[in-house]
Amino acid sequence: MNKVTSITLRRMRTPFLVLIIVYSIAILGMVLIPGVDDKGQLWHMSFFHAFYFVSYTATTIGFGEIPYPLTDMQRLWALITIYTTVIAWFYALGKIITLFQDKTFQQVVSESRFRREVNNIYQPFYLVCGLGETGKAVVCALTEEHYRAVVVDQNADNINELSIMEMKEYVPALTGNAALPRVLEYAGIKHKNCQAVIAVTISDETNLQIAITSKLLHPGVPVICRSEIKAFENNMLSFNTDYIVNPFEVFANVFAMALHSPALYMIYDWLTGATHTTLNSPVQFEKKTWILLGYGRLGKALHQQLKNAAITTVVIDPSVKAQEVFYASNHHHQDDQFILATGTDAASLKQAGIETASGLIVGSDNDANNLSAIMTARQLNPQIFFVARQNSLNSTELYTAINQNNIEPANRPDSGHDDNLPDTLNHLIMRPREIIGRKIRALLISPLLLDFLNQAKKESTEWANITISRLTAVVGKSTPHNWTITINRDNAPALARALSLGRHITLGQIIQNPKNRRQKIGCIPLLLQRDKKNILLPDENFVLKPGDQLLFCGSRKVKITLTATLAIRTNLDYVMTFKNDPESFIGRKLSNLFNKQDRRKQNRINR
Amino acid sequence: MNKEKVAFSFFMILALTLNFGFFYGQIDDAIHHNVYELFAVVVVNLIATVLKFGDKSQMGAMLLATSLVADVQLLSASLVWAYAAHMQAGGFIPGNMSTIVALSGGAMVANIISVILLMIETSTFQH
Repeated sequence: MNKVTSITLRRMRTPFLVLIIVYSIAILGMVLIPGVDDKGQLWHMSFFHAFYFVSYTATTIGFGEIPYPLTDMQRLWALITIYTTVIAWFYALGKIITLFQDKTFQQVVSESRFRREVNNIYQPFYLVCGLGETGKAVVCALTEEHYRAVVVDQNADNINELSIMEMKEYVPALTGNAALPRVLEYAGIKHKNCQAVIAVTISDETNLQIAITSKLLHPGVPVICRSEIKAFENNMLSFNTDYIVNPFEVFANVFAMALHSPALYMIYDWLTGATHTTLNSPVQFEKKTWILLGYGRLGKALHQQLKNAAITTVVIDPSVKAQEVFYASNHHHQDDQFILATGTDAASLKQAGIETASGLIVGSDNDANNLSAIMTARQLNPQIFFVARQNSLNSTELYTAINQNNIEPANRPDSGHDDNLPDTLNHLIMRPREIIGRKIRALLISPLLLDFLNQAKKESTEWANITISRLTAVVGKSTPHNWTITINRDNAPALARALSLGRHITLGQIIQNPKNRRQKIGCIPLLLQRDKKNILLPDENFVLKPGDQLLFCGSRKVKITLTATLAIRTNLDYVMTFKNDPESFIGRKLSNLFNKQDRRKQNRINR
Repeated sequence: MNKEKVAFSFFMILALTLNFGFFYGQIDDAIHHNVYELFAVVVVNLIATVLKFGDKSQMGAMLLATSLVADVQLLSASLVWAYAAHMQAGGFIPGNMSTIVALSGGAMVANIISVILLMIETSTFQH
């Protein structure tokens, strides 16, 4: 039996019993007590009339004394009936209302509704465990692409927040501990449409448990795990977790990319970015001394990247333990220094040489400390470039503000020439959780994008700059959107068919604008993957083959046009020949017939 | 001794005995079948049904089903009585009583099954 009905019935047992007993006593009394009919003769109410009388009395409807006026004896019993039955009804209704407001009952109801919703998903869906900032970013990205997602989070507030957010697809959500196999089963881990499990809860241990459960209950499904601690990471690897995303490593890698080639970082930011980023002109980093604030897990990862880039670093951290770790791991690296201080005061920053340093990295997990350090550093060296770590989504406004007013108004030489000052230079503000969200989104939606970025890392800065200008020219200010097309029957049926017939089709032909012969549609093929080989930015003369995977970048509108071109035979023929061929069976036969006649005439004339 | 079990068995057996009391007698003879007894059977049966609510075991489901069958039969018998006594043009006729008693007989079979199930459950009860 359904759990909800079962609980309802069990809880309603006493109220029902009370109602039955009170009713039966009242009815029996009305039947037994003698009355007088309209002719003054002795009369007993029948059970039928008594039930009618008690029913309208108990529900306070009160039709009156039917069928004959009651005697005083009957009225006395009617009084007793009124008070007992009305109270019994109030009691029963009160019980029902209490039941509906009961926390456990609501939990059971929402749980069973959630299970029903998950069972009824007929499209592929992704199971997201943990709805923190990372989880939210992943769910938003998935629904934006019209993929279904199912969410489990232990915190009811996060789940409630989800119902306020506007999603393109309905997202079933459950408040529950995802580490429990039962909860994961409710969330559809065994469902045949479950595409991947994404474990991004705050706790590494929970993520580990989710990974183990998923691998045991549904071995084929890929698992993406977030892990901050090396030991858990190794444990996850030991049973073939498919992807492990370490926020600090991802952050440090992205930072290294920015340090190595700012233009590439811009491309990365733009392509993987949330929907509202625009392409900015790249910032070139000076590779002199850098000051690194905070030597936690993130600080260590960043320091490693700075060492790789052969940049001298001054580390500031208030913890003695961090100092020991620093000296233990860096004894061979003589240039780097460690200063035992908070870094939010002028003295320690001066000691670190803030006046001559080219950059400051504030990477502690406390936003107030980070902001205070930047403001102090700014007073000492107004030109300093900084990389800041933003921890909470709530401090976005503060970081935006500190990014915009580079120089204190008092220090500005001339307020009339704001635009000419170098203060329009953008500092880097990185949000670790958002960066992971983007990484997971790329893994799920466009795995080719990661191949593209890996390939692009090997290219020069000039290449990146040229690519930026191409992207800006074609896609412009509109929201970038990237998507993958595999040339096969499911993804591009018309193109696959044409290619299998042996037609010679180039990349330039399929991105032809159907509305204008002289134009291409506004998209750039970023990468072509053929037999595991990646071809970066293939040109228009590239001849396509069945099985090719193509990564495109463009606006959403362009994606629809291109998808139609590749899927519908007449559209594809049209962009290649710019002739309208008839679509219907008879039309095609007739046009073939006319074409043949034309050809015969031509032949005759030629003869 | 479990008080709940006592109440449970008490109402189930009482439902059966009252039902038998009403059923016993010549089928169309109104003197043999008392209206108060039918009322008592209906009330006791309803109580027995409510007591069976919310038991998730297979036995609980079976017991609830037999009780619901008895309820349906007895409520239709009461409806027939009400119709015959108040709405029928010619008043109460012996044929009506046969219908009512026949329906209560069906309810009695359901009640017998109920009690048999209860006996089976009790006999498999260990410790």
